[in-house]
Amino acid sequence: MFIPLRAGGHWPHRHTSHSTTIHNSTIRIICFSVVGSRKLEFLNGYEPPRQAWVESLNSPEEEKLGIVDLHPDVFGEMPRIDVIHENVRWQRMYKFVCYAHTKVRSEVQGGGRKPWPQKGLGRARHGSIRSPLFKGGGVVHGPRSPTTHFYMLPFYKRVLGLTSTLSVKLAQDDLHVVDSLDIPTDDPNFLEDIVRSRNWGVSVLFIDDTDTMPRNITLATERIKHMNLMPVYGLNVYSMLKHETLVLTLPAVEKIEERILFHLHRADSAEKTKKYRLNQQ
Amino acid sequence: MSLIQKGSEKALNILRALPRISLGNIKNSGKPKKVHKRGRGQHGGDKHGCGNKGSGQRQNYMRLGYETGNNPFYLRFPYEPYYKGHHLKKQYPPLSLNQLQIMIDTDRIDPSKPIDLAAICNTGLYKFRPEDNCFGVHLTDEGADSFKARVNLEVQWASEGTIAAVERNGGVITTAYFDVHSLWILRDPKKFFERGEALPRRMVPTSDVMLYYTSAESRGYLADPEKVGYERLVLAQKYGYNLPKIDPEDPLYSTLMERKDPRQIFYGLEPGWIVSMVDQEILKPKDEKILEFYRT
Repeated sequence: MFIPLRAGGHWPHRHTSHSTTIHNSTIRIICFSVVGSRKLEFLNGYEPPRQAWVESLNSPEEEKLGIVDLHPDVFGEMPRIDVIHENVRWQRMYKFVCYAHTKVRSEVQGGGRKPWPQKGLGRARHGSIRSPLFKGGGVVHGPRSPTTHFYMLPFYKRVLGLTSTLSVKLAQDDLHVVDSLDIPTDDPNFLEDIVRSRNWGVSVLFIDDTDTMPRNITLATERIKHMNLMPVYGLNVYSMLKHETLVLTLPAVEKIEERILFHLHRADSAEKTKKYRLNQQ
Repeated sequence: MSLIQKGSEKALNILRALPRISLGNIKNSGKPKKVHKRGRGQHGGDKHGCGNKGSGQRQNYMRLGYETGNNPFYLRFPYEPYYKGHHLKKQYPPLSLNQLQIMIDTDRIDPSKPIDLAAICNTGLYKFRPEDNCFGVHLTDEGADSFKARVNLEVQWASEGTIAAVERNGGVITTAYFDVHSLWILRDPKKFFERGEALPRRMVPTSDVMLYYTSAESRGYLADPEKVGYERLVLAQKYGYNLPKIDPEDPLYSTLMERKDPRQIFYGLEPGWIVSMVDQEILKPKDEKILEFYRT
């Protein structure tokens, strides 16, 4: 049974359960059931939910457990590449402190004495050998250290950055949903086998809802620098783009949707977006 | 699947056939932001847009209105203080009866409890800024005909028509003054309680509004209750409705009869009490001196 997945025009039919085991050359489906018949909040009634396969990390071969419904406002948002770019730039800049430094004329050593008399020598008048006109003198308008480049991106641009990136990842088949991050062994080769056999690219970011990850996957990813584990609260645009593949657990999907939908529909969003005032009570 | 594709869906379909979006191939749309750079080179660093010689080059800007020695325009005529004291005038951002009815209908306000400024602010739909001399809510009579709720209202300003619309339904309305400090507390009670401070006393109205809050026609909170009862009857006759009686058998009776003390800011909380959000309890002072202070 082949179901075109996430091919925008066609949505898989809803089956409550389907217990046939089908062997395909590439995909093995066992016990296909709709995992995703969960209740999605804030649906507008016009957009159908996006969908993704739920896989398991038990074996290197791809093993499908079912299909999960994903909220269109989170995983089917307009892919705003410009907003993604703004998010990436913000993430790079807000922690960047420039330490480039030059000295102004007062900071350069010496130059307190008038180098030669004002008149009578036929030379240009000068008051200091450290003036910016002199070689070895001070620098005008040079970089001063430390220069911070901290700024905050507007709140809803940050939210849109997350939804855009998640949507892009899902549309480009770089987002995979797994039931949990439990793997049977702590051998790094096992994880690399998974990635190779499932064409998950080289770098993978695993997202779970908690920050205490299962022991096996923690040990397995310890030596592999391009496979990383991250809790939901650390999810960010930069890391999602840095890794080729994004792997979310089902609880992580639940939590990401819950948080993003909360922010998209919160009643006090004006409080979140208003200008910061120092003298507020 | 609907036949009409949303724009985002089209875009996501196109993305499927495109290379993977990564840190290396994203860019901002539109023109890059123009940064003004200091010119360099032979003529680049000449004057930096300040012109040659004089006041402009030294960035010695004359004061506003100065006419290089003439008697300035702004001093030629005698002073006419049109806006004298304008910045001190009390503002009351309006809320219509229509909006109030919608808030009640959409469960943003519970009509079975007395409605005060804190309840209205708690809806998240009404905004006022005490720092801009806003002294609370002005309930306007827009939607008076369709106002059906029977409520105990406490607002800061109300017109005659509004009062009639509320009392016609068997409700009660009071106009009450709150000083600036109390307004900050009513605007965001949770924020105040988290500070762990004792509730202050509500101050008496300032002289400019004293008449309004002591008169029975405006249902002022300092007016004589007997006179208010009389004015309720007068208004009913003026507007031609039968004043519904507030019956002690009515389940809403206790709600409708509830009033704040002139020193009180919240219903059920007295000045001097501390609401602890951490321990989820109310701390009350026992010391006689403190009690005496908050009583006066």
